[in-house]
Formats: sequence, C-alpha cells, structure tokens
Amino acid sequence: MELGNPHKADRIMKPDLPWHSRFDLLGVTFLLFLAAALGALPAIEGSGRDLDYLGNLSRFAAQFFPPDWSILDRTLAGLLETVQIALVSTLLAIFLSFIISLGASRNVSPAWLLWPTRMLLNMIRTIPSLLWALLAVVIVGSNSLAGVIALTLYSVGYLAKFFSETFESADLSAQKALQSLGAGRLQAFQYGLWPNARPIIWSHCLWMLEYNVRSASIIGYVGAGGIGLHLKLYAESADSWNKFSLVLLCILVIVTLLDFAGEKIRKSIRDKLEGTES
Amino acid sequence: MNSSLLETQGLGLCISQRWLFRNLDISIPPQSFVGVTGPSGVGKTSLLRLLARDLQADEGKVCSHLQSGQNTAMIFQDLQLADGASALNNALGGCLGRHSGISTFFNFPTPEKEAANNWLEKFGLAGKSRQWASTLSRGERQRLAICRTLLSNPRLLLADEPVASLDSEWAGKTLQILKDSQTQKGGSLVCSLHDEDQVQRFADFVLRLHPSDPTSWSWETLTKRTES
Repeated sequence: MELGNPHKADRIMKPDLPWHSRFDLLGVTFLLFLAAALGALPAIEGSGRDLDYLGNLSRFAAQFFPPDWSILDRTLAGLLETVQIALVSTLLAIFLSFIISLGASRNVSPAWLLWPTRMLLNMIRTIPSLLWALLAVVIVGSNSLAGVIALTLYSVGYLAKFFSETFESADLSAQKALQSLGAGRLQAFQYGLWPNARPIIWSHCLWMLEYNVRSASIIGYVGAGGIGLHLKLYAESADSWNKFSLVLLCILVIVTLLDFAGEKIRKSIRDKLEGTES
Repeated sequence: MNSSLLETQGLGLCISQRWLFRNLDISIPPQSFVGVTGPSGVGKTSLLRLLARDLQADEGKVCSHLQSGQNTAMIFQDLQLADGASALNNALGGCLGRHSGISTFFNFPTPEKEAANNWLEKFGLAGKSRQWASTLSRGERQRLAICRTLLSNPRLLLADEPVASLDSEWAGKTLQILKDSQTQKGGSLVCSLHDEDQVQRFADFVLRLHPSDPTSWSWETLTKRTES
C-alpha cells in the first residue's frame, strides 16, 4: 500500500512543520502588502457624479489624432535640448556620485563618514525631480541650466546609492589578493575592486541617462528647459491636443530608442562579465 | 646566517574545534620545492595561509628568516582575479607592491609591462593579454593567477594547488617553471599537490598531513632522479 503514496516516506522522515514557520520574510511582507492594498481600496473614490467614463475617454483621445506634423521642427529642437540637459546632468551626476558613493560604501568608508553620507543621500532622494526643478528655477531662473541643476541633484541621490551598493556587493577577493601581494589600499581598489564594479556601474549610468531623458521631458513644465514647456503650452490651449500628441510621439520614439540601445549594451556587458562571450 | 627561509615551531591550528595539525616543526631551506599533500580538507590551504601570515596559529609560531625587501606571495586556490580587468592588468597587479599608488594610477612602468608580457607568453596567454579575465577558461585563469604572483617576484612562493585545473602537459610545465624561477633566485616554493607523481617528480621535500591524527604529519626528503 505504501507504494501508492510516494510522499509517505517523506512525511515520516520530516514531521510537518508548524503552519507559521512556513512564512519567511518574503511571505510575510507579501501578505502585509496585499492586506494593506486591499485595505486602501475604500480610500479610492470617484467624483460621485454619474459620468460617461468611456464616452469622455473616447472624445478626449480622439482630439489627439491625427498628430499635427507641422510643428515637427520646433518639437525636435525642444527634444534636442531635452537630451542635452539629460546628457550634461547625467555626466555631472556620475562624477559627483562616484565621490559620494565612496563615502557611502561600508567596505571603503569609515563609520563617521558612512552614516552622514547615507543620510544626505536619503534626503536628496526624498525630493522629487519636479520639486528640484522648481527650486532650481527659483534660484537660476527659467532656463535649461535649471534643468541641469535639478536633474544632477536628483540623479546623485540614486546613482550614489547604486554605486555604493555595487562597491559593497562586488567581488572583493581580487582586492584582498592584491593587498596580500603588497598593493596599497588605493591600488587594490583601482586594480582589484574597480574592474569588477565598473561594468555594473556603467550599466547604472546608462539606466540613469534613460531615466533622465524621461525626467528632462517633464521638468520643462515648471520652466526648467526642454520639451516639457511645449507640453505645457499645448495642454493649456484648448484645441492643441493633436500637437500635444506629436510631442508625446517624439518622446516615445527617443525613449524607446534609448531603452533599446541601453538594453543591448547592458546585455553585452553582462555576457562579457559572465564569460559567455569573448 | 640562517639556513632556512622560514620555519615553524610547534605550529598547531584548530578550526571548528578540530585540530588540523599540531606540533608541526618544519623548516623551508632555500632553493627547495616543498610539496604538501593529504586528502581534501586535511588543512593544506590553512597551513599555507598560516605561512603567509593570513591566519593566526592556535599554538606555536611561524618564524621568517627572510630579509627586508624579500617577500612571500601566494597563489590562491580560488584565483581571486579581477574579472572585469584585462589579463595583462591582472598580471600587472603583482608588481603594485613595488610602486606607489600615484605612479601606477594612469599606467604601469614599461619594464613591468614587459615582464608581465614575458610571463603571459611563458604561460601561453600572450594572445589573450587584452581579454577580460572573465572570458578566459578555468585553466587560463589559473595560469593568469600564477603570472600575477610570479610578477611580485617573491622569495618564498606559496602555491595552493596551482595546477588543479590544468591538463597534465600544462601542469608539468607550470610546476617546472615555478621551480626554476624560485630556485634560480635562491628562493623556495611550498606547493600543495594532489598528484603523487607530481610530488615525486618535482618536490625536494614532502610534508604529508593525515586527517586521522593531527600530530602524525610526516616530513620526507625525496632523492631526485636525474631527468634524462
């Protein structure tokens, strides 16, 4: 009879665990998330009016088509400025983040520097990019410099955190091996840890550039340069949704291209690092 | 003047409440190849790390008779290469101890690059010096790790199973290069090995560790057959 139940032997060997021990951290946090999300449902209320949702949507969406191609030149110029803001701010952010991330890495930085640096990064991340843009516009006026300042600060909050996590999780064995062969701290970092961290760091930089192109498209809304200003103008004039849709289309094209290129580059870096491609 | 490069006095190491070896008294003479053998887990790696001062002994001590400027270097069993760096830069890591951080910040001195390339060529890696270490095969990575350690020009070379991933041809060649490079400069080599044939062929002395009894290690002098 025992042949009919292949799990019986297992059950005898391994007595059933109490029900609560099946919940690990992952299970518990997922359940908490589910409970909180369901609990939040009553907070989502409609206007209470009897609106024709689908009718509204189709009437509004119809105004987007066909896109108005007559403004293509203007849009491309705005888009170029957007990409330029993203490029400059990402470069500045990479530079700043590298320095700050060393202070925020447990395996590089002393404790007295570690915690203040991490606090600073937390504070920077708390402020959304649009708010950074507002602040920058107040300080330097309504221009693309404000966009660069805003996105640089915003990116540093994320990039420095990514960089420091990369330094902390990178393979440290080569660094230790070089130190045992007589290398100094800086040399062991440069030739032992940095080569292992560099591909991952470059991946993060590409991701940040993509992200910044997206962000740079919206900060113009508050006057910080780029295509966002066009979006604002078209959204505020009642009959320009077809112009608005062309701008969106252009943003979609550039973001998709960047996403595609970034993914290709990241994949080739990953393959090379894992030794699956020579 | 002392006749040994390094000696141990009553050395003992206890890991997880188990003695790997005790009362170990050995002396590493200059220009010698010392093989360390024993089954896996017997403590060969730990002994080498003790000799490299990478571990603290639980009893006894390691006395170094190396003069200042003469160093000890180790070839690690797990290689410990920088995967995202070229083979050449990995090998050049061995010379960092001879130069300041500023002088190696942008580039390595030309003589060091020539020396590194020589070692890479000797170990059949000349054509792969620009490749990332991650793209090399296991055997090539092992040879690269050996190049790096040899470039540090150690007087006492500690090698932890340096030929474990190599085919028999490269294994023999590698042990010969290691032995020649050490004996030519009056240095020595302590090398953990699994293959008894390799021990008999290359080692001048052999330390055998036994898993059953931490004090029953043995030290033999091997008479060399003249190679035809």
